[in-house]
Amino acid sequence: MADKSSELVQGTLDMLILKTLALEPMHGYGIAVRLEQMSKGVFRLNAGSLFVAIQRLQRDGLIKGEWKPTENNRRAKYYALTDQGRKRLSSETKEWGRQVAAITRILEAS
Amino acid sequence: MSILQNIASGLRALFGKKRRDKELDEELHGFLELAVEEKMQHGMNRPDALRAVRLEQGTLALAKEAVRSASWESFLETCWQDVRLAARTLRKNPGLAAAVVFTLALGIGANTSIFTLMDRVMLKPLPVAKPAQLYRLGDNNNCCVMTGPQNGGSFVLYSYPLYEALRDHTPEFSQLVAFSSHLQDLSVRRGGDSAAARPYKGEFVSGNYFEMLGIAASAGRTLAAKDDTAGAAPVAVMSDHTWQTHFGGDPSVIGAAFTINTVPYIVVGVTPPQFYGDTLRSDPPDFWLPLSAHPERWLFGPEPEWLYLIGRLRADVSPAQVQAKLTGELQQWLWATGYPEATPEQRNDKALVEKYRQEINRQHIRLTPAAGGVNQIQTEYTAGLRLLVTLSGLLLLIACANIANLLLAHGSANRLQTAVRLALGAPRRRVIQQMLTESVLLALAGGAAGLYVAHTGTQAILLLAFRGARYIPIDARPSLPVLGFALALSLATAIVFGIAPAWVASRSDPADTLRGAGRSTSDPSSVLQKSLVIVQVAFSIALLIGAGLLTQSLRHLEDQHFGFLTDGRLIVNVAPGLDGYTPDKLDGLYQRLEETLTRIPDVISASLSWYSPLDGNNANERVYIQGKPPDYRWSAPSWDRVGPHYFQTIGTRLLRGRAIDERDVPGAPNVAVINETFASRFFPNEDPIGQRFGMGDESHSGDYEIVGIVEDAKYQDTRGPAYATSFLPLLQTPPGEPVRGWVGAIELHVAGKPENLEPAVRKAIAGVDPNLTVLNIMSFGEQVARHFNQERLIARLTELFGALALVLACVGLYGVTAYAVARRTNEIGIRMALGADRSNVLGLVLRGTLSQIGLGLAIGIPAALAGGRVLASQLYGVNSYDPVILGLAAALLAACAILAASLPARSAARVDPVVALRFE
Repeated sequence: MADKSSELVQGTLDMLILKTLALEPMHGYGIAVRLEQMSKGVFRLNAGSLFVAIQRLQRDGLIKGEWKPTENNRRAKYYALTDQGRKRLSSETKEWGRQVAAITRILEAS
Repeated sequence: MSILQNIASGLRALFGKKRRDKELDEELHGFLELAVEEKMQHGMNRPDALRAVRLEQGTLALAKEAVRSASWESFLETCWQDVRLAARTLRKNPGLAAAVVFTLALGIGANTSIFTLMDRVMLKPLPVAKPAQLYRLGDNNNCCVMTGPQNGGSFVLYSYPLYEALRDHTPEFSQLVAFSSHLQDLSVRRGGDSAAARPYKGEFVSGNYFEMLGIAASAGRTLAAKDDTAGAAPVAVMSDHTWQTHFGGDPSVIGAAFTINTVPYIVVGVTPPQFYGDTLRSDPPDFWLPLSAHPERWLFGPEPEWLYLIGRLRADVSPAQVQAKLTGELQQWLWATGYPEATPEQRNDKALVEKYRQEINRQHIRLTPAAGGVNQIQTEYTAGLRLLVTLSGLLLLIACANIANLLLAHGSANRLQTAVRLALGAPRRRVIQQMLTESVLLALAGGAAGLYVAHTGTQAILLLAFRGARYIPIDARPSLPVLGFALALSLATAIVFGIAPAWVASRSDPADTLRGAGRSTSDPSSVLQKSLVIVQVAFSIALLIGAGLLTQSLRHLEDQHFGFLTDGRLIVNVAPGLDGYTPDKLDGLYQRLEETLTRIPDVISASLSWYSPLDGNNANERVYIQGKPPDYRWSAPSWDRVGPHYFQTIGTRLLRGRAIDERDVPGAPNVAVINETFASRFFPNEDPIGQRFGMGDESHSGDYEIVGIVEDAKYQDTRGPAYATSFLPLLQTPPGEPVRGWVGAIELHVAGKPENLEPAVRKAIAGVDPNLTVLNIMSFGEQVARHFNQERLIARLTELFGALALVLACVGLYGVTAYAVARRTNEIGIRMALGADRSNVLGLVLRGTLSQIGLGLAIGIPAALAGGRVLASQLYGVNSYDPVILGLAAALLAACAILAASLPARSAARVDPVVALRFE
């Protein structure tokens, strides 16, 4: 099974993770599952890429983690957006929209 | 903000590594567990779910590694791992580590100490305020006292009135100072001290000297302009070194009365510790005295030129313009002072006046930067230091070749391990990084050891260079730039010479290595290794030949027939003038000295003279022979004043006539003894005995009658022929002139070791007059030896470097041969099994070595011959292509190299074929 995440544009994964966390705090597996669901199975993350991205976001102060019990009473680290992360998400979303619109225009131009 | 956060969390991660690892573990576990649970909810059993998740996600360890290596602190972590691994590897190979550290320490140490010297001697400015503004008037080091035009017209010694004129008419200098061109012997006693006066060195300086240099006293005050005026109370400034070592830093010295050369002085202050005056030299001045206190007032007339000048140039003027202006002032001054002295007859002689004008127009002043002060040792040692820089550079190259070789061998020995690491997926970058870490670790250890070698080396070099010096104001500790240089050098050496072996090792195909470990006969690194050994041999033979030439040259210099004998001779320096003697009292003093000294047991003979051979002194003056026209073809001959028994005491043979003896006192007929060169130069075809000559002008040509001829002896220049010299009795002067004749040296011919007599001699002199200061006392041999300080320094260092190069080349050769033998054990076994005997094997191994030595010699000897041409000017009595030295050096190198290679070769010959074939 191909690892679809490798086809993601560099930096896009960060934006997607921020987006999944914008709804509610979530643990690593939850993020992966939600991404897969939301993309209807296009983006499947393996643990390595996911946690590298999480570590990066955490280092940059965009998300922060907290250990909490899960629904079935296990311990997991839940990640939530910081204010900074929220700002970054909205600016990146805007930028992404602009770029996609531009690319689309170019592709439809012929 | 986020960078700070990043660094903070990185550091937290680095220090809380365990906790962080645990958290990551738990998080990843949780992740997998949740994935498995979900699969099980879809109906899989647990083992299947587990397998499916593993397939999808990879192993936990891989994920962990991915997360960890994505952060910057992981680089530090791997570095630390590499360092620990490198330390472990090196501990397992102590021989390799020791060899590399030793080699590096020698290479870095030699270069660092030479560069420390370069830095301290050549580059370091005087420790004064804004040294870059200082300029000296003149560009050479002519010394002492001259009159009239100077060397090729370039003025460097100035009369006092000329100094005043230049000082007052050159406002481009904010200050212009004058100081005596040579240090003065001082006989100093602290006021109220009953002990005998002690000898010191003093420098007479103008009153603005310290103000111009920007030197403030560390205690008391320095000299001021008002101290350097006629009638001012004599004051002196003491150097910090003298204050500390001779007066224990006693604060009561400041303001205390001292008797210096029988004149009462007040010591008004002490200079700062780092200050050593205007000239970097051994035994710098102990005291600075104002020019106005100089006892010899005749020096202050317009004729004698004896002062050096240094000025501080204003920032807004150009040195070239000031130089032109100074030259103009000088020529004007020479014309104004010289011309009025001419007789009317001379003034009417147009040709003579024109000649005089041309002579004056040739005189000029070169304004030279004087940030380093008067460049005395700088000039003396330039050639020597340049040679040493080249030699130490060569040594470093040899050391580098050795290190590269050792690391190559080490890398090849670890090939199997490297192959395993590569096969297990280690990236090539990591393998190289790991090997480089080892090199860097070795480099740092070698560099540290090198600094120790450098410090001791610099001290040793200074002691060799300034043999006999009481104090050398040169700091042997490497300065910060030099430390940086050493560090950079060792790191560069390790990285440059560590990269090749690491590259070679990482390039090898792991599959090949693993398949045929130890079985191949071809080896990519062996060509490199052999070339390095050839280079080493070539450099070593060049160094050995250089060492041989310089050593032989020094031996010829020291063992030549000087025209006197040094064995069993002692020289004592005194200066009765400093101790209050007047000319009328000299005769009695000299007689008592001779009598008393001759009575010391073991003294065979004693005599006095103005100066002794090779003590640095030399006087020359034009001579006029009675009945002959003045002969201007020759440079002025030397002359000396000597007492009875002089020639027999110093071992100069009398060839004809008689020596100067007890008869030759003031009032008796004036006589002289001349040397062979004097005789053959001025009396080529006649008998000199009975002829008369004199000095000064033609009217003196009848002053002295020649009564004897002695063999030539070298008094000043040891490389050229002896100067034509005449010897006059101590106290005889031309008719009508007052008696004078100061002695400076006492010569003693003794039985046994001359040094042993020192206490008895001191006691005897004190018995004659306790106030007569003994300035110096040493064996004649030592006095001559000090003459060759520089030659000895260069020869000894070249020998040392040559020996080190030889050792390094042999170590290199041994290493390469041993390594080759180890690699070829298998092959040797096969050859022996097929019938080769021990001598075949020995030959097989040694053939390679011999070809390397031969190639090295073939490259090195022509290189040494080419380099020898540069050396030729420094050699004495030996040709730069001396076949004996060339042959000996080549033989020595070949013998040592073959010995080094034969150790592993013999072990190769002892190989048991059965064991060898089983060997991996």
